[in-house]
Amino acid sequence: MLIIASEGYFCDMTSIEKKTPYPFKKIAVAVAFSPRIEAILAESKRLQAIFKAQMIFIHVGERNIQQEEYLKHLLHRFELDKPENKLLWEVGDPVDVILNKCQEYEVDLVVAGALEKETLVKYFLGSVARKLSRRSKCSVLMLREPHIKSNSIKKIVVEGSDHPKTVNTIETAVYIAKLVSAGDVTIVQESDVSKMAVIRSDEFSDEEVVEHKEKINQEDDRRLEAILRFADCGSLKVNRERIDGKPGYTITQYARQYKADLLVLNSPDTKLNLIDKVFPRDIEFALADLPCDLLIVHSQTSELDEGIS
Amino acid sequence: MNHTQLIDLFICLGVMLLSGRLFGEFFRKLKMPLVVGELVAGIMLGPTLLGQFYPHLNDTIFTTKGNIGLVLSGITAISVVMLLFAAGMEVELSIIRAQGKTALKASFVGLIIPLVLGFFAGREFYAFFGENNSGNILVFSLFMGTAMAISALPIIARTLMDLNLFKTKVGMIIIAAAMLDDLVGWILFSVVLGMMNKGAESWGFLYTLGFTIVFAVAMLTIGRILINRFLPWAKRKLSWPGGILAISLGFAFLAAAFTEKIGIHAIFGAFIVGIAFGDSVHLNEKTRDIINQFITNIFAPLFFVSIGFKINFVANFDLQITLLILLIAIVSKLLGAGLGALWGGLKWKEALAVGFGMNARGAMEIVLGLLALQAGVISEQVFVAIVIMAVVTSIMAGPMLQYLLTGEMKVGLNLKEINPLSKQD
Repeated sequence: MLIIASEGYFCDMTSIEKKTPYPFKKIAVAVAFSPRIEAILAESKRLQAIFKAQMIFIHVGERNIQQEEYLKHLLHRFELDKPENKLLWEVGDPVDVILNKCQEYEVDLVVAGALEKETLVKYFLGSVARKLSRRSKCSVLMLREPHIKSNSIKKIVVEGSDHPKTVNTIETAVYIAKLVSAGDVTIVQESDVSKMAVIRSDEFSDEEVVEHKEKINQEDDRRLEAILRFADCGSLKVNRERIDGKPGYTITQYARQYKADLLVLNSPDTKLNLIDKVFPRDIEFALADLPCDLLIVHSQTSELDEGIS
Repeated sequence: MNHTQLIDLFICLGVMLLSGRLFGEFFRKLKMPLVVGELVAGIMLGPTLLGQFYPHLNDTIFTTKGNIGLVLSGITAISVVMLLFAAGMEVELSIIRAQGKTALKASFVGLIIPLVLGFFAGREFYAFFGENNSGNILVFSLFMGTAMAISALPIIARTLMDLNLFKTKVGMIIIAAAMLDDLVGWILFSVVLGMMNKGAESWGFLYTLGFTIVFAVAMLTIGRILINRFLPWAKRKLSWPGGILAISLGFAFLAAAFTEKIGIHAIFGAFIVGIAFGDSVHLNEKTRDIINQFITNIFAPLFFVSIGFKINFVANFDLQITLLILLIAIVSKLLGAGLGALWGGLKWKEALAVGFGMNARGAMEIVLGLLALQAGVISEQVFVAIVIMAVVTSIMAGPMLQYLLTGEMKVGLNLKEINPLSKQD
């Protein structure tokens, strides 16, 4: 049982499986023959250098000699045709195939390019990247604007919600920040307006509402302090922002306004489906309108995989 | 209205607001819901007490008759719409979704069992409950079922807060289950009231139910999208908070008018619009607070105090009816919500705590009762019993939760630094 303790504050990690989401030693990249293929591969090269990972390139589609040659040429051009790397050419449903391969090869991170926003129809039908992010059992990195030239990660915004998965998510953000020498990591604590709504009634005096809110905020602060002590931030600059608003939406807006380079969120507890697109919550807000590159950190839990599927 | 009546009206409104607030605060100091104080204020000003000693005052100022009665009746109607709008804003669909199957099970079973028990109790004891204007067993039984199913979210929240359980797993399951029960309960009640307009043929029931669901789905999908587009514009172009206040309440009244027109009931339109607005990401906490404060501090007291004007609580108190309704209410909710929580995987003590938490009926039960009384579905004796049941179940929630959970949760509660999610080996 892993306990994070700080000044008498305990956070029981029993429900989180022992395997942490990082380091990313096996990275799968979803490759499609789109105008952004070169940019995706350039980003893959940078990821391989940063994480010193084995890269597994997965293309789903009918085998075509010309396309195969072109892809091999690109892999060679970006120095990704190393012996340890793999190129998988599969057929079938893209999302199912990629997810199966990720499971088969025990991938730590799957990377896909994604448009900032989907059209209304695509939003409900779902693009490959977004479907991957909703169903993947490993962490997912969605690249909103992959570049061929170097695209440094200077500002990282990470979720600081009160959830067992947040420990791994923050640690992953710190891990990445140290590897890429990021300028700062900002942990966003979203004060859930919905939860505050139930105490905003005539049952509570103003003083009681303030007292309860302060109590909740203090508990949050202690929790984060405990996590950060354990995370070994070293000389990394870690900021904290507390914002009132709807979880998922508020942090997405903040990342956009702050011009973050990477937004790091918890994976959803339950499978997201059509109902979550009609009534969005949590990461659906980020998926609906990506503010920047998005990393969804998957922490598999024994207790939390329940819910309405 | 003539000069004298106008003066009487202003005196009436002034005394109602002041006494409602004073009594409400007094009862809140005693750790009882604010609504209890407001009800007591109304009882004291109405025929139960003041009317016995100063009947003239009761006939001229604190009255339900004449022009003042008409104005108060209008204020009551407006207050009910606003209260249901505020109740809708408290229903957070994301919380319900986030709590998963346990909340759904607790909610489903916590709704079905009280609903069925209340329905059959209504049928079996119809004659015992006394005559009412509807003369309709089906409608009365449906009302009884709905009355047993409703919960009181603010009281539950207060109880959980006081016990440091609000952010715990048990706490959020209770909250989510109560929200879901309220959502379904008010839909059902709107159907019941709608049936009063149409009669109780099975065709009428299906028609009303269908229309209710269609309206709810349309408002919660298309309506929500439109509100989410409209609110940012309103925030930019209109003054704050007046603009948003006017917009939100304006839509609530229009929706209430629409649903009243199509035969569902005005409360349903306001409730669903409340959910749609409350769910919007563009409605920040301050705005919600202002809307809530406006409604609960002005219109809620007027509403609850005015209840006391309508009825002589002493003359219409029937011990047997009250005890029966209390028994059905407590047993059905404990059984329903408790079994639902057990099914969802909680231990028996936690499940029982869920049951007592959701057993609190509160102000919304009283609103439900008054609407039923006005619609002629229930008699005055049953209404008094409903009010007493609402108050008793609300008061008992806190002590019962504390008794059930203090032992198990003691370490987590007393050591304030401990995260409630931590488990002890």
